[in-house]
Amino acid sequence: MSQRKRSKGSGLSQGGDGDEDFNQSQMPTHSQVQRNLERRSQDQVNQKVSELVQFLLVKDQKKIPIKRADMLKKVIREYRDVYSEIVNRAGKTLQQVFGLQLVEIDTKHHIYILTSDLPRAEGENLHRDNQTAKLGLLLIILSFIFMKGNTAKDGAVWEFLRRLRVQPGERHEVFGDVKKLVTEEFVRQKYLEITPIPLTDPPEFSYQWGPRAAKETSKRDVLRFVAKIQGKDPTFWMSQYNEAEATP
Amino acid sequence: MSEASGSHDLFSSQSSGAESGRLSLPSTSGNGAVPRHDQQQRLSSRPRPPASGEDGEEPEEAGESPRPPESAEGAGDDRSRRIIRNQYRELIYNVQQNREDMLSSKSNRLTEALEEANKLFSGVSCAREAALDAQFLVLASNLGKEKANELRSEMTAFDSLAFAEDLLTFMGINRIEVEENDSDSEGTSGGYLPSNAWHKLGEETEKYFRRAPSFHYMLGSFKSDPPVPRQRIERQKKATGGEEKRAMPAQLKKMEESHQEATEKEVERILGLLQTHFKNDPDTPISFFDLVIDPNSFARTVENIFHVSFIIRDGFARLKLDDDKLPIIEPSKDNVGGEDDRSTGARNQVVISLNHQEWKEIVETYEITEPMISPPHHRNEEEMEIA
Repeated sequence: MSQRKRSKGSGLSQGGDGDEDFNQSQMPTHSQVQRNLERRSQDQVNQKVSELVQFLLVKDQKKIPIKRADMLKKVIREYRDVYSEIVNRAGKTLQQVFGLQLVEIDTKHHIYILTSDLPRAEGENLHRDNQTAKLGLLLIILSFIFMKGNTAKDGAVWEFLRRLRVQPGERHEVFGDVKKLVTEEFVRQKYLEITPIPLTDPPEFSYQWGPRAAKETSKRDVLRFVAKIQGKDPTFWMSQYNEAEATP
Repeated sequence: MSEASGSHDLFSSQSSGAESGRLSLPSTSGNGAVPRHDQQQRLSSRPRPPASGEDGEEPEEAGESPRPPESAEGAGDDRSRRIIRNQYRELIYNVQQNREDMLSSKSNRLTEALEEANKLFSGVSCAREAALDAQFLVLASNLGKEKANELRSEMTAFDSLAFAEDLLTFMGINRIEVEENDSDSEGTSGGYLPSNAWHKLGEETEKYFRRAPSFHYMLGSFKSDPPVPRQRIERQKKATGGEEKRAMPAQLKKMEESHQEATEKEVERILGLLQTHFKNDPDTPISFFDLVIDPNSFARTVENIFHVSFIIRDGFARLKLDDDKLPIIEPSKDNVGGEDDRSTGARNQVVISLNHQEWKEIVETYEITEPMISPPHHRNEEEMEIA
């Protein structure tokens, strides 16, 4: 019964709110969407687009990636048959109005993040919170990983952080539980990817860039940062420089 | 036929007791060719060795080497095989423990370990040892892969130490002249990081990120009202989180004290009562029941007994049976005396049981009209007033 209400338009889905509903195979194709669009009033569709834009902006506060399933369930709902059109328009709105980009970082599970289209403006950050400091820590870790060849062992990373007075066991005065911040928060935000190394006992992990890091910054930028801090030219590290130039 | 089946049974029972996936060969098999055939068949259809890549070898090995059925030779061979297995396990353990050493580009230890394994392998004739060899091979190849990875980055020698130092400088570290150079051994440089150090670094790093600024309604929305108080509470909790560690023990102490206090206060009060009585009347011991029984409340009677037991435990008073075999209580001189008693003599334990009926009978028999231990004033819990 509930299925009826949910799937107007092109015949979709068997279930209710489950994620299985939103499989690629069951999403309407582009031509289907265009046809379905004609059935709806423009106002209604635009309304949904606005709602989606607001939803995305709020969801992005914590920097946790947004799942397509959430978007469909909470906002789009019965307009699922024109889903792709709504998302596209929302993306355009975000870009033109806010200068933000809606990026799909996982095409298999359909996970999105918001990044900024514009370069960072000069001037002091008015919103004083912990985010700035966390970003500093994150960039340090990302630089370390990159300069060490795009992957680093957890032992090496924490050893490096120790030299900066950041210990996993102690409570840091700025970051609090650093271990949790790095291994949980950064990973959940998709800035870092931590994978266990097989056949190690006690288990060791390898740290790599997460998809969000790849989208929000670049190897070139990171190398620039390292070069600035160390007062050298980026070409000082030849292989890293070449790699950075090669990656768009 | 029966022989074959007999050995088959022996075989299967043994293999069921063996480690998973590994067949233990029967130590004595008096039968000739038949069991060997069975074993060979079994081995080739065996599920798997613990590692990849060695699959082909094992059935071959099983086929090639003759299985010594005689016990004398079997024992000798068993021993040497056990030795080989032991050596393999030791080698694997060594490699695992000295991982960092093996990975260092300066050491040749991984190659040496591989050579040793190679030597060991020449003595291997059975599947079990070959399995261990396979396990070692997996371990070594993983290490080799990691080593190769490290080799690549080392080519452009990224000095993480220098990077860390430069970062600290950027953050505005105050390098104080420190006398004791223990900081060097710890791997951290001496100096004092200002409180805005990380913030300063963060501001610089923001330039390198294309991060969408967090969107917050300036004046809040209707719906965000409920979350706001929650956030405040969370922040308060987090703010005190650091001091939580300090606060919590203090809090706990307080609670415990308040619990303790109530009991201890009572005990002390009763002790005071006792001692006053004895001061007035030093030679007459008090009847236990006279002391503890409260004719008005059974519950308070039980509490009194409870409190008195503390006094006795701490040695301030003693319980004895008088000539009529009725319990009496008398003070002991001081705590020291009490402790001596405890240590020299055996610790005595007495269990007193008292039910409602008995309590009533005692009240009647002893003609107790008022409690010797007056009920405390500040207790506001429910008092059971039993008429």
